Amino acid sequence: MSKRRIWGLVLRHLYNFRRNYDRMVDTFYWPSLDVLVWGLTIFALTRLGQTSPVQIKAIVIAVLLWNIVWRSQSELAVSFLEELWSENIANLLATPIRKVEMILGYFTLSLIKFCLSFTLTAVLAYALYQVNVLGLGFYLPLFIISLMMFGWAAGFLTISLFLRFGTTIQTLAWAGIWVVMPFSAVYYSLSVLPDWVQQVSRFFPAAYVFEAMRSVLFTGSTPLDGVLLSVGINLLLLSLSLVFFLQSFKVALKNGIGHLK
Amino acid sequence: MTKVVLQVKNLSKTFKNFTAVDGISFAVKEGEIVGLLGPNGAGKTTTIQMLLGLMTPTKGEIQYFGKSLVTHREVILKRINHTSGYSRLPWRLSVWENLDVYGHLYEVKNHHQKIRELAEAFEITDLLPRRVLDLSAGQTTRALLVKAFLNDPEVLLLDEPTASLDPDIADKIRDYIITERKKRSLSIFMTSHNMQEVEELCDRVIFLSHGQVLAVDTPDGLARRNKESEVQLMVKDGLKRLIQMASERKWNFNEKNRFITLTIPEEEIASFLNAISRQNIKYADIQIVRPSLEDFFLSVVEGKNE
Repeated sequence: MSKRRIWGLVLRHLYNFRRNYDRMVDTFYWPSLDVLVWGLTIFALTRLGQTSPVQIKAIVIAVLLWNIVWRSQSELAVSFLEELWSENIANLLATPIRKVEMILGYFTLSLIKFCLSFTLTAVLAYALYQVNVLGLGFYLPLFIISLMMFGWAAGFLTISLFLRFGTTIQTLAWAGIWVVMPFSAVYYSLSVLPDWVQQVSRFFPAAYVFEAMRSVLFTGSTPLDGVLLSVGINLLLLSLSLVFFLQSFKVALKNGIGHLK
Repeated sequence: MTKVVLQVKNLSKTFKNFTAVDGISFAVKEGEIVGLLGPNGAGKTTTIQMLLGLMTPTKGEIQYFGKSLVTHREVILKRINHTSGYSRLPWRLSVWENLDVYGHLYEVKNHHQKIRELAEAFEITDLLPRRVLDLSAGQTTRALLVKAFLNDPEVLLLDEPTASLDPDIADKIRDYIITERKKRSLSIFMTSHNMQEVEELCDRVIFLSHGQVLAVDTPDGLARRNKESEVQLMVKDGLKRLIQMASERKWNFNEKNRFITLTIPEEEIASFLNAISRQNIKYADIQIVRPSLEDFFLSVVEGKNE
């Protein structure tokens, strides 16, 4: 394994990032706007007496955490799309870079972008609504790890589909992850949902994290079982998505990956 | 004995019911420049994609430096490079940034220094800070060529290396390729639609048609497979007699304003010159055009040489 090749792939996207307003909007603008809009909505409801300050906190932190899932998935998928859009895929894959190096390169890139995006939104949440995400304490890194793994699993699933169907389904890079949102209990507690939704949500690891987050905010602690279960499910999902990625790679090579568009 | 650096054995690629490449075999030796020619759809691009590991062959084997591309992909790709018509560079990045990235991907030592040297050789030093988006087609081709030479490849796969270049730059690039070949026994496998370029650069030409190797020969050898030459002359007197002679001998001809071009089998040229002298046909500006690689190419396209 070559660290230099991994860095080469990361560098390619960092160079692109600083010159590409679309990617900056993805990383900074949408997450910030999310924090602003949701925060103001809940703030208004509080003034009308329909919700409480702790609920503002729960919603704003939910926004921050959901952005981890969304950005992790989207960063991976869009980074791969960039290779297809710029017709660079043949040049890239004709270098000695290995698939495992590509995977690690995309993970590294996603981590760097996460740090940028999360820092900005966390500072905004504190500045605008005095919501301090660090208040989650040692649970926060656990939540981040679990959600990021879920985002990466979804990201590699999306890339795998691009390897099979090309850019005709590129909208999945931005829209795909939202299909799991209703079952992830991001903004509401699972207990208030219909039974069938609760049953479906058991299979979505993000739901355990958001439930745990609310428990920490409302009671000061949470049993770790749910969070650890979500990490376990995410490990399984990430492994499955990487296997699917490798299989899709074989399919793309069979068809000729240089012509993938 | 000269080493074989690229060996292709019985390579085939089938897409559903269509066979793009059909059991081709060939070898490229160290320091050799081999051209891959053929009409559109002959299987050239498919072959190059398989040689780069961008497409899995249906059958057959590809070996570089005696090692299989399937099992030694990483080691092999470090030692080869390419430019191809179906790939570009990320357009938002500057030329320098792109080359910097590829310097890392190929793990080139002192790659910044290498980029500067190659940029000078390919006359793109002033383009290094510019975005690929802002380059002309010819400038992009030169940037891709710098990328192709970045890791000092031992085998270079070039797909139309001088397409879209101005003639003077194309000439310089051909000179650079020849110098590199002499200096460090660089082997090149290339496609081109510029027949003069192929004649100038290539030691051997592999001619593909319908996915099969139709001929392997030197450019001159392929040209000579076409047995007819063109004789062009301006007839001052005796044009009707000359046309009658051509018709009787079933030679193709074209006549306009007393300028006539006849297509004559090479072995009959001497007797033709005797005959026009005997029949007292007066002419000027005679020119005998020997068959070229382009004539061979056209004869295959027209189905005469298959």
